[in-house]
Amino acid sequence: MTAPRRHFHEELRTIEQQLVLMAGMAERAVGRAVDALVRNDIALAAEVVADDQLIDEKYLLIHEKWLETMALQTPVAIDLRLMSSVLHLLVTLERMGDQATNIAKIVKSIEGHAREPVILEHLREMGDLVQPMVRTAMEAFVQRDFALALRVPEMDEPVNRLNRSMTNDVARCAPDQEVLEWAVPMLMVSRALERVGDQAVDIAEQVAFLLTGEFQEFTRPDTESYDH
Amino acid sequence: MAADDRGIVIAPAGVPGSVEETGPVTHAMETVDMSVSYGSFRAVKNVSLQFRDHQITALIGPSGCGKSTVLRAFNRMNDLIPTSRVEGRVLFHGADIYEESVDPVEVRRRVGMVFQKPNPFPKSIYDNVAWGAKVNGYKGNMDDLVEQSLRQAALWDEVDDKLDQSGLSLSGGQQQRLCIARTIAVKPEIILMDEPTSALDPIATLRIEELIQELKQRYTIIIVTHNMQQAARASDFTAFLNMDQDRAGRVIEFEATAELFTRPAKKETEDYITGRFG
Ligand SMILES: Nc1ncnc2c1ncn2[C@@H]1O[C@H](COP(=O)(O)OP(=O)(O)OP(=O)(O)O)[C@@H](O)[C@H]1O
Ligand SMILES: [Mg+2]
Repeated sequence: MTAPRRHFHEELRTIEQQLVLMAGMAERAVGRAVDALVRNDIALAAEVVADDQLIDEKYLLIHEKWLETMALQTPVAIDLRLMSSVLHLLVTLERMGDQATNIAKIVKSIEGHAREPVILEHLREMGDLVQPMVRTAMEAFVQRDFALALRVPEMDEPVNRLNRSMTNDVARCAPDQEVLEWAVPMLMVSRALERVGDQAVDIAEQVAFLLTGEFQEFTRPDTESYDH
Repeated sequence: MAADDRGIVIAPAGVPGSVEETGPVTHAMETVDMSVSYGSFRAVKNVSLQFRDHQITALIGPSGCGKSTVLRAFNRMNDLIPTSRVEGRVLFHGADIYEESVDPVEVRRRVGMVFQKPNPFPKSIYDNVAWGAKVNGYKGNMDDLVEQSLRQAALWDEVDDKLDQSGLSLSGGQQQRLCIARTIAVKPEIILMDEPTSALDPIATLRIEELIQELKQRYTIIIVTHNMQQAARASDFTAFLNMDQDRAGRVIEFEATAELFTRPAKKETEDYITGRFG
């Protein structure tokens, strides 16, 4: 006997593939925004801002398909949990795109200011840390790999540490008014990258929900003092 | 909660999210290691289920797994099939309905049944409802009983001005509600329903589902349905039956409906309800 809902399950796979594409777009947007910052590349920053529309379009496309599937197929059990996770990931990835846009807009706003290499280095490092987090979380999602999902919150720790030390990094610029003017917005960049890390942890939590049916919040050391 | 290898299941402790009930949980109907055979063919085996008072329990499973067979065992309808044999115990308020001393007619009065196809008698609407009560020697006011039963079946407003018309003149959905009124009129405690909406259109189906929700205030309901969405919408508990290699049906999982349709414990249940079996 062939599986009676083969067509529906193919649809679910299509939605999942689209979501993976969207995750790639959001992750690359974050990477490019950090590149634009580090290289002081205004044209690249403008591109990141413009390309956010592509992420939004993807969002709408997947959301449309999602609604249709819910209406027509009434999924249950693992399929229902998958649909629930998909919606959650969809919103999370859209916001990740917004964080990339925020960073890129800051790059444009501070054009021409004197820069502080240590801060730039820390932000570049944060960018290098959060991108693999997103990839790992999505890989755990695609592979339905619980153990891999659990690695994501661990990867978040150095990101949080760098974000916390950013205040000191910025304060050290205080004697030089011009550098300080450049450095204060870097707190926002740091905060945006820390949010991307949290979003990757969110995705990993969704993987745990998908696989177990129970929602569990992964421990996020030292982020509690920030409001989200 | 899932059945063990012998199909032994203990009733779920409570419906998640529902208001904590006061008082002990009681079961109107319970089977202990029940098997039903037709001649030498064992159709269902080792069924142990407990049906809670004033709750709706759905039986789901693939065609031929024995849902109707199980349901018929609950009011000795299988007695009417000469080759059939029931083993194990079927307890109605703790007493075995297959004891020698038990009158099957009395069992069928207290455990009523609504069938797949509406089957009103070719008589007036009034007589359809009054008939069973008359046979049972009902002494009260018959007009009141008919009205009360039709009201409970959510049909009164549509037929109160034509009680003398033939039951067969009603629409399919109305006929099914008439059959429910007929069942209610003899004051059963349990109502068994075997695919009660499979012959109805979607609106009539939803009306019956609404009605079932109303009826659970007064009755314990056990419903067989092919429509998984119906089980999900209309029941508090769901038992999933499947066939073994020897084609005998058994209980795979018995759980609060919301739990079964979001987090089934058994892979076999998941494969069935998500349409992945085969
Ligand atoms: N009167 C009968 N005589 C002999 N075998 C029967 C009889 N009624 C049912 N069976 C057999 O018992 C098994 C269970 O049948 P049953 O009608 O209980 O299944 P079901 O789950 O209600 O199926 P469906 O969903 O198609 O109504 C089947 O193999 C069927 O062929
Ligand atoms: Mg049947």
